[in-house]
Amino acid sequence: MTFQHKMAAHCESGTVAALLNHAGLSISEPLVFGISAGIFFGYFESKKFPFPTFVVRNRPGQIRTGVARRTGVRFKERRFRNPEKGERVLDDLLSGGKPVACQTDFFYMKYLPDHVRVHINVHFITVVEKRGDVYVVSDCYSPNLAELDRESLMKARFAGGSFSPRGFIFHPVSIPRRIDYRTAIWKGIASAAFNMVRLPIPFIGVKGIRLFAKKVVDWPSLARDIDHLSHEIMKINIFLEDQGTGGAGFRFMYATFLREASELLNDPDLLEMSKRIMEIGDRWREISLFAARIGKRRDLGPDRLGELSAMIYERADAEERFFNDLLKLSKSKK
Amino acid sequence: MKEKDASVDYKEHQLILYVEKKDGTYGPVKTGSYITKNFIDDFWYKRKKLEHEYLEKVRKGEISPIAYYMVLGELTPSELAARVRLGARKVKKHLTARYFGTITLDQLKRYCDVFNVSPVDMLQVIVTDKKNLKVIEEKMDNPFFTILKISTGKK
Repeated sequence: MTFQHKMAAHCESGTVAALLNHAGLSISEPLVFGISAGIFFGYFESKKFPFPTFVVRNRPGQIRTGVARRTGVRFKERRFRNPEKGERVLDDLLSGGKPVACQTDFFYMKYLPDHVRVHINVHFITVVEKRGDVYVVSDCYSPNLAELDRESLMKARFAGGSFSPRGFIFHPVSIPRRIDYRTAIWKGIASAAFNMVRLPIPFIGVKGIRLFAKKVVDWPSLARDIDHLSHEIMKINIFLEDQGTGGAGFRFMYATFLREASELLNDPDLLEMSKRIMEIGDRWREISLFAARIGKRRDLGPDRLGELSAMIYERADAEERFFNDLLKLSKSKK
Repeated sequence: MKEKDASVDYKEHQLILYVEKKDGTYGPVKTGSYITKNFIDDFWYKRKKLEHEYLEKVRKGEISPIAYYMVLGELTPSELAARVRLGARKVKKHLTARYFGTITLDQLKRYCDVFNVSPVDMLQVIVTDKKNLKVIEEKMDNPFFTILKISTGKK
């Protein structure tokens, strides 16, 4: 069966959904994302990052493991110490006509625009075929199937650093006859809501959003100059909108998941929650557009950053109410 | 977000957004990137300025070419060290012009793989005032040797 390439909002949820579709399970990207408790927030300052940063999804890899655990789908997964062996195993699977997902360093995806390609080791693609020294790749961020030379794919699969892929590949090996979507969906919801409002870690979930709001006003002291600060502030927009989130830091995709879940389970409460998170997402989008505009204008004085901070604090309050209600709802449905 | 608010006409950088469609349902739409369409000029302006600023530092002997590529690649010494599989202290030394000369060819190759440049790019920069010059570095099986082809014509 020919692999159907389709763009998706996010590389990991899109790749998992595409492979499951190919294996015969009809499941959408939002459903994969929601069941695996993909929605998240974390604010990080670390030696590994040149500037403070935030993430809006769960840990890389957890979308695959979350879906597998909650639906009963099984994936064959492999990592390699030896790159030659990693290449050989991939080639063997491809020659057997099996599309295979690979974890890669995004920087080497030459078919994507230069300005988006950064070193990050958690980009997922599906390798569909090998033609001579070139691999045919289905990347959720590319409108069409793309070609990637052998050397680039090898560098991408065996890049060092944080979240080093070590040639990681996976593909589905079994799909259960019947999936208990009710249990899978509610477990996914409970886990996401717990991570957002109950985890006692100061930089995770709603606490993380508040930390971000508090710290963003200090960013000028960390920047090299006004252009660097502008770049970092404008990256807020990229992280929320452009970096494979489906808009508003995955909030729109989560709204779509809740809506799909409400139809699947015939549950009007979930429909109501989907409308609420869609509205929350709209305000996040206002933040990202505001950040892009003040960054472009270099209008980055304390007043303007204070305004940005207040908008983020407001989102923290809204998400705290939303995820507390969602957690209560998930407990009441058990 | 309503579907009409998501629509950006920009073919060069497409992405998927989830929106509220006209019939009230939620789902994906393919659209152009708002930030790329509206702010890419500003991105390249800042990038060129940074390149120029750090190239000057290399030229003056304040930093090594590794530091130049590290800053452009938005990496930290600690992350770079993990990527080239060398100790962080050693990498920090390699960022200075003084210790750059102590690097072995094997170490240089590791840095080049991370930055996706050839070893020659670590030692020189090609500058020209000609606009229609085409410069291609042809890679050989020998990783330490490249052929630089310079011709006139469209880039």
